[in-house]
Amino acid sequence: MTWYQTVGQHPDTVISSRVRLARNLSGYPFSSKLGAAEANEIIEKIGSVLEPAGFRKIHFSGISPVLATSYVERHYVSPDFANKTSPHALFLEEQEGLAVMACEEDHLRIQCILPGLSLEEAFKNARRTEQLLDENFDFAYSEKLGYLTHCPTNLGTGMRASVMLFLPALTMGGYMDALASRLSKIGLTVRGLFGEGSGSAGCMYQISNQVTLGFSEEELLHRLEDAIKQTIEKEEKMRKSISGDALDRLTDRILRSEGILKYAHMLSSSEFVKLFSDVRFGISLGIVNDITYEQLGELLVETMPATLTLSAEHSPKTAAARDMLRAKIVKEKLTHDNRGKE
Amino acid sequence: MLCEKCKKRTATVFYNENINGKVRSFSLCGDCAAKMREKGELQDVTSMVGSFADPFSELQDHFFGSFFGLPSPSYIEEKACPTCGTTYREITKNGLLGCPDCYKTFEAELESTIGAAQGTTRHQGAVPARHRAKQKLEEKRKELKAKLDAAISKEEYEEAARLRDEIRKLSANEKSDEKGEN
Ligand SMILES: [Zn+2]
Ligand SMILES: [Zn+2]
Repeated sequence: MTWYQTVGQHPDTVISSRVRLARNLSGYPFSSKLGAAEANEIIEKIGSVLEPAGFRKIHFSGISPVLATSYVERHYVSPDFANKTSPHALFLEEQEGLAVMACEEDHLRIQCILPGLSLEEAFKNARRTEQLLDENFDFAYSEKLGYLTHCPTNLGTGMRASVMLFLPALTMGGYMDALASRLSKIGLTVRGLFGEGSGSAGCMYQISNQVTLGFSEEELLHRLEDAIKQTIEKEEKMRKSISGDALDRLTDRILRSEGILKYAHMLSSSEFVKLFSDVRFGISLGIVNDITYEQLGELLVETMPATLTLSAEHSPKTAAARDMLRAKIVKEKLTHDNRGKE
Repeated sequence: MLCEKCKKRTATVFYNENINGKVRSFSLCGDCAAKMREKGELQDVTSMVGSFADPFSELQDHFFGSFFGLPSPSYIEEKACPTCGTTYREITKNGLLGCPDCYKTFEAELESTIGAAQGTTRHQGAVPARHRAKQKLEEKRKELKAKLDAAISKEEYEEAARLRDEIRKLSANEKSDEKGEN
């Protein structure tokens, strides 16, 4: 089971938690100045420690663009990493949610992604992997600035922690801009997962720490977690306050979305995200009863373009063919597949 | 990564299409993607991959745009890192340093930039194992040195000789450790 196939704590509002540690090996220039031979040497060195520890190595130079993109869709690598032309590799341990990017912007991006709100565990897992590498290699470090990174915005702890939240009520109420400006004052950043202008099509947002230097890892995590818990509280309060005529309209919209999601013959990716969001909201409100968070989580990844293309025997050639394939996968899961239910 | 249309905003929409084997791909910001969709230049937003994995790319644009905005005198612009050859001009251009030693080379130039972006320039977090070992050794050496000074001032020469040997042994061990690295 991977992070998107299961749910964790606060499933109504939290999709996933992620912690990433940036590290560089001393004795090498940073990634953009690294020659191909040196990059391969680093990949070999990292592999010699991680592969015996159960990580699977994926050499990105040798895989197709569509396969590379499918790893972006599962949130294991960054878009920039998938598109790089110089040697780079991913080391993956999916059960623990661990993914180590070698030769990304930094030599090492050690990350752990888990379902629900579990920053502490995600940090522990990432840290354990980092320690394993620390025993074997000399990380670039200075007493004053901490871990030295390619870009100074990652200095110090090199840690970026983030939580992906599902906030339909705050979004509908138009509170996201206010929330974002509030959080930015305490050193946190908010971004929509589906970057459609200022709004977020799927009501999914990622909140992360902006500052990486001057605080311990624990302090940074606690600050973030406090802000997340307050945000969850506000979202839940908003959800409870929906009543009367507004609740009837919302119920109607959610049930219509459920119908379309289950029975449409064609679904574009942007339409899927909208319907996904309505139905997910419906589950939390008790309006939708025969679809689970687990099923939706799997679909969110399985209907992404690259993952979708890979799942087909003959990859769809047109946008229309892709939309039909998407609708077919969704229909099959939601009307036949009863996994994850009692 | 910047949007390839306006080259201003961060790209958040990654569009790939394959129509009868003809492949096109774009990295766009939300606004430009919306405009292209209106004009019918994008068939379908099938590839809205959130820029989840890179939450701070916007921050980086902003960070270097605003803090490196002022031109520096040319002797600073031309200053280069002896280890990797990266000049200060390069660093201000793309916001990336060339190697770990660049932080020493450009310590003075970077101090205020780092302070402005991070709020502080003093690390409080985790320490690598090797550095922890070095710190311990340094503490031990200081402790022995203090004892040695005390012994000498009290004219306890036998004890002083013993302490001096111990300090020498510490330094020798450290050197052989360093040779054993890599
Ligand atoms: Zn643009
Ligand atoms: Zn350098």
